[in-house]
Amino acid sequence: MALNVATLASRMLGAALPILKKDARDAESFAKLEFTKIAQTIVAIGEQVVSGQINEQQAGLLLAMQTSASRNVFLTLQGLALLAVEAAINAALNVVRSAVNTALGFALIA
Amino acid sequence: MHKMKERQPRWSLLQRRTSLVAALFVPIVLALVLPGCAVKFIGDYDETIDKGVTDVQQRAELYFSRLQSTPNTPYDQNFYDDMNSRLAVSKSRAASLPKYPIIVEQLANLKAQFDTFQKLDKSSPRPFPGVAVTDAESAIAVSVESILKLELALKRGAPPSTCDYPVVRLRL
Repeated sequence: MALNVATLASRMLGAALPILKKDARDAESFAKLEFTKIAQTIVAIGEQVVSGQINEQQAGLLLAMQTSASRNVFLTLQGLALLAVEAAINAALNVVRSAVNTALGFALIA
Repeated sequence: MHKMKERQPRWSLLQRRTSLVAALFVPIVLALVLPGCAVKFIGDYDETIDKGVTDVQQRAELYFSRLQSTPNTPYDQNFYDDMNSRLAVSKSRAASLPKYPIIVEQLANLKAQFDTFQKLDKSSPRPFPGVAVTDAESAIAVSVESILKLELALKRGAPPSTCDYPVVRLRL
C-alpha cells in the first residue's frame, strides 16, 4: 500500500486541531479569570489612593505585586501552550501510525 | 596531486556542514519516530513543588488574616524569613528538575511579591490599612493559582514513554 501525503496530512491535522482548539479555550478562560482579578485590584488601588486609605508609595508597591502576578499568568499560558503543542504532535503521529507502519512493512512509528 | 591537495579543505567544509545538519535534525526526527518515544517540551508534575507552594499560600493567608483582624499587629520578620526559606527550597528543587525553567521563573516572581510586601509592611505605620492586605493577598493568590494550574496540567493524564536519544558527536 502506497502512502499518500495529502491523506496522511489531513488525518494528522484532524487529530491535532481539536486538541489545539480545546487547549486554547481552556487557556483563554484561565487568562480571562486571572486578568479580571488583576484589573479589579488595579482599579481598587487607584480608588484607595483617591479616598486616602493608602498613600502613593504604598500604591506603587501594591502595583508592583500585580505586575509580578501578571508575569506569572503569562508564564502559565506559555507552559500550557507547550503542553498543547506536545499533545497535538503526539496525537498526529498516533493517528497515522498504523497506516505508515503497514505501508512500510516495519514499525517506523511505535 | 597539487590540485587534490587544494580541494581537500572544500570537501572538509562540506563534511562539517553535513555533520552539523545531521546533529541538529537527527535527534528531532528520532524523537518523532523512535519506538516508544513521545515528544516532550516541558517537565512532569512534581508533588513536592505543588505542596510547597500550597503551604506557602496557607501560611501567608494566616499572616494576612492576622493583619486584617488586628491592624496593630507589629511587623514580623520571622514570617518573611520563613517564606524566604520555603520558597528558596522550592526554587532549588524546580531548578534541579528537567525542563522546569518556567516554574523556576514563577517561583522567583512569587518571592519578589513577598519581598515587595515586606517593604510595604515594614514601612507602613500601624494600624496597617486593611485594603492593602486585600490587594496584596489577591496578587499572591493569582501567582499561586498560576503555578498550581501549570503544575496540575503537567500531570498530562497517561505518562508518556521516555526515550534515550543517541549521542550525536560532531567531528568538526
